[in-house]
Amino acid sequence: MNGTKMGVTPSQTIGPFFKFGTEWMASEDIVSQGASGAIVLQGTVYDGAGDPVPDAMLEVWQADQVGKFPPDTTEGWTGFARRLTDADGRYVIRTVKPGRVPDATGELQAPHIAMVVFARGLLKPVFTRVYFSDESDANASDPLLAELEDSQARSTLLAALEDGRYRFDIRLQESSRGPETQFFAFGE
Amino acid sequence: MASGIILAKPQTEEDPPYNHPQYKSTALRGPNRSPLIIRPGLTELHGPVFGESRIRPNDNDLTAQHPGEPIGEKIVVSGQLMDSDGRPIRNQLVEIWQANSCGRYAHALDDHPAPLDPNFTGGGRTMTDNEGRYRFTTIKPAAYPWGNHPNAWRPAHIHFSLYGTAFTQRLITQMYFPGDPLIDSDPIANSIRDKKVLARLVSAFDWDLTIPGTALGYRWDIVLGGSNPTPEAI
Ligand SMILES: [Fe+2]
Repeated sequence: MNGTKMGVTPSQTIGPFFKFGTEWMASEDIVSQGASGAIVLQGTVYDGAGDPVPDAMLEVWQADQVGKFPPDTTEGWTGFARRLTDADGRYVIRTVKPGRVPDATGELQAPHIAMVVFARGLLKPVFTRVYFSDESDANASDPLLAELEDSQARSTLLAALEDGRYRFDIRLQESSRGPETQFFAFGE
Repeated sequence: MASGIILAKPQTEEDPPYNHPQYKSTALRGPNRSPLIIRPGLTELHGPVFGESRIRPNDNDLTAQHPGEPIGEKIVVSGQLMDSDGRPIRNQLVEIWQANSCGRYAHALDDHPAPLDPNFTGGGRTMTDNEGRYRFTTIKPAAYPWGNHPNAWRPAHIHFSLYGTAFTQRLITQMYFPGDPLIDSDPIANSIRDKKVLARLVSAFDWDLTIPGTALGYRWDIVLGGSNPTPEAI
């Protein structure tokens, strides 16, 4: 506007006791059971000791199957889901694979879901992306995945297809469960 | 590859760090590797839109969610949600949750031996109006002890959850009250190193928000950083 930026409000932890304030929106799926193209995305959040995190809140946000966002989507599409991890640190979301959308430079990206995780002990959230391991052609040409020279870090972004469900674990730190998930911060 | 996706600088360096030893829970939960700074893609430049239909009457009045009146000091908390250019974030969801007037949360795992209030749950939500304004009526939460270090007390605070127009703007934070002597010794508040930045989390007493004979008022404006392109720019 006038070039003077306002001071941005800083982050603080979600703390341990958010359930009664946030669970009202934490059971909606992105698509209903039996919807065309429905998939299940599930996983576990782990801490640096390899223990499940039973008090995390995560949210996913994605394009629809043809790469559109509201308001250019069909009636009822939200593209959003919130979950509170259960006692075993797990979450389950029913959704669809998103269509391909461009990055900031206009290059087409592989299908992916944006994810953010909050927890006690996180003073600011962690952001990551859920890609799909069975999209090897699209993944091979994804501009962000191509930048990840560390193949171990790259592998943390790929949801594995197991028994017909996509599994995407979030490891806040490296542990016996595997390497730390590749997290992102955003610039402009 | 030089696609221009990887950047050197994040949108803000004023947020607290992931690892802050004074706050013990960060030790096993804060990532050890620095996040990779990227230019957001089209997904992250969009964000969820929540309809008015999700909000019920009294969702923004935490003193009116039960048959009786909660115990404590009734307050109004109100302000404006904006982006860093000062543009209001309209018709967007704002959620809060807080302890009661004795410092106890309506959460099964809160074992602070202060009384629960059957007339107070402590969760609220509302949509911002056309100027980005929100308003809650609630009870002033009390400070509460926690196990972080000997004689540790959290300053009174209200947890806020906020969305902008882009997923990159997602924010969860805590609002504090002016003049609270516990802020200076709180490891969570002081994870923000710059005092001027921490001051943005402290609400201001505001006569204009008071309801004579009924409630005192606190004003707290919220500014979301992050990429927030105008729809034309997407
Ligand atoms: Fe709290």
